[in-house]
Amino acid sequence: GKVPANSILASAPSDKNLDAWRELGCRTTHCNLEVLQESTLVFLATKPHILPGVLQEIRPAVGPHHVVVSLAAGVTLQTLQRLLPAGTKVLRLMPNLPCVVQAGAMVFARGSSAGDGEATLLKSLLSSCGLCEEVPESYINIHTGLSGSGVAYVYLFAEALAEGAVKMGMPGGLASRIAAQTLLGAAKMMLETGEHPAKLRGDVCTPGGTTIHALHQLEKGALRATVMNAVEAATNRACDMAKD
Amino acid sequence: AGVLAAHKITASSPDTDLPTVSGLRKMGVNFTVSNKDTVKSSDVLFLAVKPPIIPFILEEVGPDIEARHIVVSCAAGVTISSIEKKLSTFCPTPKVIRCMTNTPVIVREGATVYATGTHADVEDGKLLEQLMASVGFCTEVEEDLIDAVTGLSGSGPAYAFTALDALADGGVKMGLPRRLAVRLGAQALLGAAKMLLESEQHPGQLKDNVCSPGGATIHALHFLESGGFRSLLINAVEASCIRTRELQHLADQEKISPAAIKKTLLDKVKLESPSLSVASAGKVSLFNNKSPSSKKN
Repeated sequence: GKVPANSILASAPSDKNLDAWRELGCRTTHCNLEVLQESTLVFLATKPHILPGVLQEIRPAVGPHHVVVSLAAGVTLQTLQRLLPAGTKVLRLMPNLPCVVQAGAMVFARGSSAGDGEATLLKSLLSSCGLCEEVPESYINIHTGLSGSGVAYVYLFAEALAEGAVKMGMPGGLASRIAAQTLLGAAKMMLETGEHPAKLRGDVCTPGGTTIHALHQLEKGALRATVMNAVEAATNRACDMAKD
Repeated sequence: AGVLAAHKITASSPDTDLPTVSGLRKMGVNFTVSNKDTVKSSDVLFLAVKPPIIPFILEEVGPDIEARHIVVSCAAGVTISSIEKKLSTFCPTPKVIRCMTNTPVIVREGATVYATGTHADVEDGKLLEQLMASVGFCTEVEEDLIDAVTGLSGSGPAYAFTALDALADGGVKMGLPRRLAVRLGAQALLGAAKMLLESEQHPGQLKDNVCSPGGATIHALHFLESGGFRSLLINAVEASCIRTRELQHLADQEKISPAAIKKTLLDKVKLESPSLSVASAGKVSLFNNKSPSSKKN
């Protein structure tokens, strides 16, 4: 709700994706150059292998007033700056899926010509979609492993929680909703209290009670190490893909 | 540990050849081979024998127990009610306190808990607490928690020794001389424990404070997690606690005939464990002399 819809111009080669934008009240076009002519802040949201071609296409229209933000996974600031005119203000953004429900986790890194003004602008715009933090570019792949892919780990965990409940006799739909709410609530407590998760975990564990028995099962299954492995694997894959 | 003058302490053992005996004598503790004499000259009695021997000691000293005596048992798995039952044939209201300590009392860093029996007063508990606090941490608990304490801090030093042995191996593997590796490993655990005890922070937070991003420590921790380090420790505490309960259960059921125990174990006693009693004046004051607190679990 920070920018009026008709101030946003979206461009795509076909109408396939543009309907969604039109429904929100945004203007649409099939011409990338038009976006550069009409806008100051430009988001590049193409698939990574398409991006170089698009950059070639828009390069003549890019000026010193533009702020170019790329969401393409694995395309480095170095590459972006190489394919755009020297001195262009470039930033690189990595969001995650829950941005669509305004509960996203986003990180961005600035290129050599992007200044505090551009960073502040981006941060204030995107904060309406969730958590938005500036980071060194080297953290972007880690963010992928933690939070970009991380959303999928949470879905997996939620599914397993629900299945456990179903096994113990609860209907699946109810189990699923409660699983999701449990994750939401726990996350909210972490964010709002700022307390260390280990402390919050301890607070839930009454001596000899149900929780500590369950946690012992999780530790027996080396859940922690497995999760660390997952974050590591996704981060490494992001690094490998960036090199391609 | 400076709480009681050595000459106010009497120790007794049937066998005078034990190394513990000469150690106690060196400290200036009064020594006798007669348990009965010890009881007569003491107010606080520490029963530091193996659990199966407790019934026999109680039989032996029972007649001399008076209302003023505080009987403190450190025997694993021996309940307050079993001691009270045994002594009630001799004394209507025996004061019994059960405690569970651990070996580092030797270096005054013990972990001791105690539970007071039916006829033990608050002051009696406090007296014990004052004595045991001189050799480490001491607090009162409900008796039903003592098995868990055994699993955690009773057996705990063994877990630590095992960890230290392995840590030293790791150091040696990476090139350190053994002695240095042991010294550094022990100091690392000592320092970490001290930090935790002196800090308000959760151990998880203290752990995080050591782990710089992408650094050596977090790589190492990942290995520990992969090996299920945490669950192994949980398993260990659980196993020790459960086994303590099992042993107590067996003792309560008195599966072995008393006569059989008496024959085999009293012979063993002569070779192994002395029984100690600690003498104390009516009030406890601070002295400069060291006082011993040796136990055999």
